[in-house]
Amino acid sequence: MTWEYEDLVLKAVSHGEKLGASYVEARFHMVSGSGISARNGEIIGAEKSFSRGIAVRVIVDGSLGFASTSTLTLGDVQATVEKAYRRAKAHSRLQRRPIALSEERLGRATYEVPAKTRPEDVDFQEKCGYHQELWRNVSSATTQAKVATMTSFYSEGVEEKVVVSSDGAYVKSRIPRLSLGYNVVVSLPSRGVVQRFFSHAASGGYELIDKWNVHSYLPEDVKTFEKILVEAVKPPVDTPVDVVVGSEIVGLMVHESCGHPSEADRILGREAAQAGKSFIKPEMLGERIGSECATVIDDPTIPGSNGFYLYDDEGVPARPRYLYKNGVINEFLHNRWTAALFNTRSNAAARAMSHEGEPIIRMANTYFAPGDYTFDELVEDIKLGVYIKSYMEWNIDDERWSQRYGGLEAYLIENGELKGLVRNPVLELTTKTFYSSVDAADKNLEFYAGTCGKGEPMQGVPVWFGGPNVRVRGIKLRVIG
Amino acid sequence: MSREQLLDIGEKVEQHALKTGFDEVAVLVYSRESVMVKFANGEPSVVQSWVDRVAEVYLAKNGRILGTSAPVHDLSEVYRIIDSLLPIHERIPPSMLYAPLPEPEEPEPLPGLVDRNLLKAIEDPSPISEAVVEAANRYKVDTFAGMLQLAYEERCLVNSKGARMAEDSTSLKVYLRSFAGEGSGQWSFGSRRLDVRKIEEVAETASRLAFESRRQEDYPPGRTNVLLSPMVAGNLINYVAGMATASSVMMGFSIFMEKKPGDRVASEELTVLDDPRNPELPGSASFDDEGLRTFSKPIIERGTLRNILHNSKTASKMGGKSTGNAGIVFPRVWNISVHPGGYSFEELLSEMREGLIATNNWYTRLQNYVEGTFSTILRDAILVVKNGEIVGAARKLRIADSFPRILENVVALGKETYDMHWWEVETPTRTPYVLVRDVGTSKHTA
Repeated sequence: MTWEYEDLVLKAVSHGEKLGASYVEARFHMVSGSGISARNGEIIGAEKSFSRGIAVRVIVDGSLGFASTSTLTLGDVQATVEKAYRRAKAHSRLQRRPIALSEERLGRATYEVPAKTRPEDVDFQEKCGYHQELWRNVSSATTQAKVATMTSFYSEGVEEKVVVSSDGAYVKSRIPRLSLGYNVVVSLPSRGVVQRFFSHAASGGYELIDKWNVHSYLPEDVKTFEKILVEAVKPPVDTPVDVVVGSEIVGLMVHESCGHPSEADRILGREAAQAGKSFIKPEMLGERIGSECATVIDDPTIPGSNGFYLYDDEGVPARPRYLYKNGVINEFLHNRWTAALFNTRSNAAARAMSHEGEPIIRMANTYFAPGDYTFDELVEDIKLGVYIKSYMEWNIDDERWSQRYGGLEAYLIENGELKGLVRNPVLELTTKTFYSSVDAADKNLEFYAGTCGKGEPMQGVPVWFGGPNVRVRGIKLRVIG
Repeated sequence: MSREQLLDIGEKVEQHALKTGFDEVAVLVYSRESVMVKFANGEPSVVQSWVDRVAEVYLAKNGRILGTSAPVHDLSEVYRIIDSLLPIHERIPPSMLYAPLPEPEEPEPLPGLVDRNLLKAIEDPSPISEAVVEAANRYKVDTFAGMLQLAYEERCLVNSKGARMAEDSTSLKVYLRSFAGEGSGQWSFGSRRLDVRKIEEVAETASRLAFESRRQEDYPPGRTNVLLSPMVAGNLINYVAGMATASSVMMGFSIFMEKKPGDRVASEELTVLDDPRNPELPGSASFDDEGLRTFSKPIIERGTLRNILHNSKTASKMGGKSTGNAGIVFPRVWNISVHPGGYSFEELLSEMREGLIATNNWYTRLQNYVEGTFSTILRDAILVVKNGEIVGAARKLRIADSFPRILENVVALGKETYDMHWWEVETPTRTPYVLVRDVGTSKHTA
């Protein structure tokens, strides 16, 4: 296995040390890939691209500088180091609290995720044929409503990094990823429109396409969307009801209302003008946020996951992080800067999207720990309730307290049984209410893929989020429309 | 990098692609240098610098569309990708979007896109950072966060229809968020020129709003009049303009899917332009990615949908002409301008009588792009208006409504405009305050 530009990375670090920086870190970062997009089964086009460059971070007189270049000559890379150094130094006079990093046992390792079937070995004709067949199956699935449009997109890629720091990190990694997504619009003019946007993504090779098996479920889903238009009734909104929250929504909820507020940089205000602050304050470790059922874990080391890595972009070895444990705020996500301020150790949450991004605190694969119920057991003692299986609209305030999820596929529950479809129920509640009201979780742990956005410039990084189906008691729903 | 060097790279890539066997080629070469100072807790948190030189390449053969994007540091690598794309064209069907590249038009240069003072400041932005810190701390706030970005970009287009075009520009983006008690305020500014006074005004406005919202009360959700600040109007109009691109319409991401130019889609008070010819906004450009001359045009004019934004491909597919909005494959919005109305800020409050002023928002998400149902979080100061006067601040609310209804319910616009550009206003937008009646608001139920 060869590693491009490793030598330049080493020279960047030694150049920064010579300039007098107290810390230097250099990262070669390449993201290469190709993709196909289609509308109604007709191919729009195919592309093959890569971004590549070297990113440098330095600490100079307590001030942090970052610089990046895509021109990979020794002269340009050294000029990049000098720029980071010079501009950090010029700003050090405005720095009231010098920036320092925690002491860590840093990795010196090389690792690679294998693809069982290399995507580049699969003919583009086969990849195009997938979209065409999908459209044939989906567009013929309805009887009364019409599939107005379906956009589908496929991408394959590889992320390759060499991370070296002046205090000992030396980590090389190569991770292939695949994604497949679609946007379907089902329309029945007299009843309106239902829209579903969804994507699969994971680390691995083309074998994932068979695993996801979109052909097997999307036509059935489209029939359900048609039924939503034809049959769905207004959900109960006048009184509090019990809600079975589907794993797809639970996954998003733990990402938004546990993972994000547990990011220590957010807790310290570093993202205050962008992604915002956190309802969690530094002194809240150990405080109760939910019931005994509420355990949320963020684990970068799950094999095959979208957010997989073994060392973060500061060279710290990864491990599972128990953010909420049995309802108690247990651990924050740290990089080396926040770990130093909290007088603890980094738990390897520093990641950058590309050579153009500084490593900042990110989630990897966040999930609600499964319980021991079956789905039927969750439902059986509910007199009146709603099961919300999937969503479209969602948002949460920037402290991660008030959150809202617009249900897409949802069913009424009466006397312990799933009944007919309800349309556009909305779960709008606080973080504390959600985690405190969960009284049971089933065994069905499922993961969903996403691209998490944070930072300035915005960095989108691959993540998974997941969980089982969970039951929350006594929630007043809203409805869209 | 000089204009000649950029054109030379573009021509080399174009020639290589034609020699390889592609019928049509367009190469956009970008050289960008920028610096960003990020602030948190009242001090710089990081100073970031970038130099990036990349090419975006459009390739067509026998009606198939292929493309690549790659750094231009080593052209042999760009050539290698182009070579690898040629056999792929035989393995994919013709594109549903293909249309020949149009004959290029001589661009009409835009004056004043480069500010020499801004160029100088890129090298050492620390004096401006100091001005930001000083301005934000002039007010009774606890702390502030934000960012200041200065950039210089050269953009060059070479295509097989003979286009040889280049343009360079500077840009400034700044936004700050101040905190005081329970309250916070945020404001932004985007420009082609360095204007320290405007940067200070951003700090002043953010701090004033934080101060005004430092004590908050619960406000009942429901339908109410809402005065959208330029931050909020900018965010929502970004969505509307994005939905007016032909690709959004074709792919099911648009409230205009069932509409056509000439249809009424908004209140008569509302006129929204795609405005590439405004040299003051950072999205200005004199030519598009297909080598056509850009021009400013209404998307919505006095409430009527006037233009779907096209490149020549979508125009050919949907019928019509390119509107000079080509990106490398799909159409794009350049800048947005909302026509001002005739109201002063005080007159808008008086017109509203009761309601809320939404000063900032984020996390706008749609339940359904075709019906336009959405919600967005009102963030920072939500000011309560009674009898035409600001009387307090509200705590945590959303707007939960639909875009068609919001557009229809616009009743008045301010006469002063503001140039907004930040995370949630990605396309630079010039807009006044916009008063909307009977807006749906929502809040957590427990």
